[in-house]
Amino acid sequence: MKKLPAIIVSVAIGLTVLAGYFFQAELSTVLSLIVDWGILLAGVAGLIGLGYLAQYHLTRLMKREKGAFFSLITLLVFLFTLVAGLTLTTQNPFYRNLILNVQVSVEASLLAVLAVTLMFASLKLIRTRGWTPMSVGFLISALISLVLNLGVGMTESGTVLGELVAFWRRLPIVGARGILLGMAIGGLIVGLRILLGMHRPYGEE
Amino acid sequence: MTWTLIGWLVIGIAAVLLAAFWILFRTHDFYAIRYSAAIQSLQCAQSGAIERGRSRQLVLGNQLNGWTYPGLGLHALACLPGFLSQESVVEGGLSVASGDGELVVFARQIARQYYQQGFSLGLHQVGVQTMLPGPTPWSLTAGLLSTHPQNNSGSTALLGYFGAEALLWSEAALGNGGDVFSAGGTLAGQSVLFLNVRDLLIGERVFMMPGKPDANRVSLAGWLTEDVLRLFLIVGLVVGAILKMVGVL
Repeated sequence: MKKLPAIIVSVAIGLTVLAGYFFQAELSTVLSLIVDWGILLAGVAGLIGLGYLAQYHLTRLMKREKGAFFSLITLLVFLFTLVAGLTLTTQNPFYRNLILNVQVSVEASLLAVLAVTLMFASLKLIRTRGWTPMSVGFLISALISLVLNLGVGMTESGTVLGELVAFWRRLPIVGARGILLGMAIGGLIVGLRILLGMHRPYGEE
Repeated sequence: MTWTLIGWLVIGIAAVLLAAFWILFRTHDFYAIRYSAAIQSLQCAQSGAIERGRSRQLVLGNQLNGWTYPGLGLHALACLPGFLSQESVVEGGLSVASGDGELVVFARQIARQYYQQGFSLGLHQVGVQTMLPGPTPWSLTAGLLSTHPQNNSGSTALLGYFGAEALLWSEAALGNGGDVFSAGGTLAGQSVLFLNVRDLLIGERVFMMPGKPDANRVSLAGWLTEDVLRLFLIVGLVVGAILKMVGVL
């Protein structure tokens, strides 16, 4: 019962934002105020989240857990980035080059690890899932897509083979759209459940 | 009729159906709870991890508000209470990680709320660990890989918004002898996890999770509304395709 005011406020704000899409002219001032508050709150929450990041690595360092050395490096780099960002600003070319050159190369190395892991996972697919229609279908469609993307079977449209290849190329898009439509409906229902106050993850169901 | 109007019509119908079924399920309980082997397996893995004193990890993805998949971050938060039983919370082996500061803050608030309902923070300090190993998808990956409990991995659940990098998280958990469950991710994330995660929910089945394992009338109303909307959509697509074929559209 003590959560009732919070529920009323959140539902009222949610419904106002929703109504704002229908009655833009009438609710534009209220909407912009709510959106500004939302951005402010999200910014503060993000800042607190960064505090958790520092706290997490600081705790590991204090407890001298395994990998604490990496936490020390993370904290030092975090502090350096923060101070440099505040003093030089994010528009400074030196600062931007420094951050991008480090970040891009680190991310590229993780991407390389992912590519190798993906290859091994593909080889293990049948062992993981067995000879099921789904796993066999997945393997066959992946192989066909790979072959088609190599440019094999590229013929002029209008011929039977050309239409067949175009059909095979369209199939993944069709499947992806089906999955996305299902996810969109699911996301809509989750949003409405929370917006209408039916589902309350913060307790007192 | 514009596409925007059609969109709002769908939202309106969904809201009305949801409210109607919610009221209907107060007195009637006729919609069957769907069985999912993956969710059963997750429950077994969670209990097994608590019994064996192994760690349990919950990854809430790296975005609360993703434009491409807007519901996934919220969905991850909606699923969190399902992992916060009293036994599970007091045991202390559960850690919740995310790559988004907002998600971590909200997850921490939810976890503390559930903890305080059963225990006093002054008497028992264990609770749930919430952490932000890194603020971007790849730094989250690096953080998760470096902090993954060696040889003590019990159960790992992947929820929310994530991409193909989730393969590395799952591989680390499986390599340490743990079980992995996934209900979330982008299309790329879901397809790479299909390769090595057995307990996986794909597409609209991802959104079955908040109601599982103990479905209440809100979950039942949600599932029935989803099914009705899906039926409308299928009929609409088939009719649209036929009209296109005969040249009306």
